[in-house]
Amino acid sequence: MKRYIYYSIPLGIMWCFVHGTINIENFLLGSVLGIIVIRPFRELYHFEEELSFKRAIGKIPNQIHYFMVLIVEIIKASIMVAKIVLSPKMDIKPGIIAVPLRTKTSGGITAIANTITLTPGTLTIDVADDRSVLYVHSIDASDPESIRKSIRDDLEKFVLEAFE
Amino acid sequence: MNTLLLNFSLTLMVLAIIPCIYRIVVGPTIPDRVVAMDAMTTVIVVMLGVYSYVQGSVFFMDVALVLSIISFVGTVTISKYLDEGVVL
Amino acid sequence: MSFIDTALNVLSNVVLLLGLFFVFVGMIGLLRLPDVYNRLHATTKVATLGAFGVMSSIVLNVGFTPIGIKAITVGLFLLLTAPVASHMIGRAAKRHGVELCEESVIDEYIISGETD
Repeated sequence: MKRYIYYSIPLGIMWCFVHGTINIENFLLGSVLGIIVIRPFRELYHFEEELSFKRAIGKIPNQIHYFMVLIVEIIKASIMVAKIVLSPKMDIKPGIIAVPLRTKTSGGITAIANTITLTPGTLTIDVADDRSVLYVHSIDASDPESIRKSIRDDLEKFVLEAFE
Repeated sequence: MNTLLLNFSLTLMVLAIIPCIYRIVVGPTIPDRVVAMDAMTTVIVVMLGVYSYVQGSVFFMDVALVLSIISFVGTVTISKYLDEGVVL
Repeated sequence: MSFIDTALNVLSNVVLLLGLFFVFVGMIGLLRLPDVYNRLHATTKVATLGAFGVMSSIVLNVGFTPIGIKAITVGLFLLLTAPVASHMIGRAAKRHGVELCEESVIDEYIISGETD
């Protein structure tokens, strides 16, 4: 029962946002509907794992820091790609690079793949079967070692702090 | 002011749809066409947002939300079909 | 009070024009770049940031009315789903057999045996 409440709070907030007015009645209605929706899909929600409210709340400051870093990176990435698109003579050196990973959980891999897609010049293509290597397409792959180093040192640190 | 803004925005967005249609018709491979469809949906969502703001009507924003959801589900479905030959 | 209103109005118009410019640049990138993977770079990053900027400008102008809250929802949804969609298309294209363009310098991809 505790898990149903834990997972129905985000669904209630989402109901408020989709409805367009934020108040307590809409939140309660969304939470009740969320419990009904979670029931048939409970295999997707990992009911066998241990969960605690205190740990989830303690991660929130790290996640806010992570989203601030992410927004700055997205703006830098867009300006870089826009410069490449608008330059009259296009000289690009694209390629696919294998990047080794440290994190092993599904949530961590999802977060780092989405982060890589939204940062300058890189795009996740695939994950290897044993979850140890991430294949990344880069728009400027003339120096693979520096790309591997920047992903390992700058991005994976924030993701490990926020989602593990 | 609002009429000028609406005219400028809609003109620019209609001009931005032309490359998408070119890529859908000409694009050498099927993934090219999927990418172009996805991008065209983003442009149409932006058009609906600006139109809703200028008209002051909330219903166009609902249409934009539903269109973005349908675009995401359609892209994922076509990608799975291309990848494995089955949808589910 | 009136000064703040004017400042917010000007700021929201500037953000709106920037967003429209970024969406337009993304579509030009779809036209000009040489293969699927590079086109994904243009549409995923640039066009998504442009759409998010347009939605932010609507929020700055109308505040937390139903239109503004729905605009936040649409912007966040686009920002969350664009990486997933681009990852799916890129993986499907690589396994479908789409080659990289001639300018490519490196390709370390190994197709794994099991389709999972």
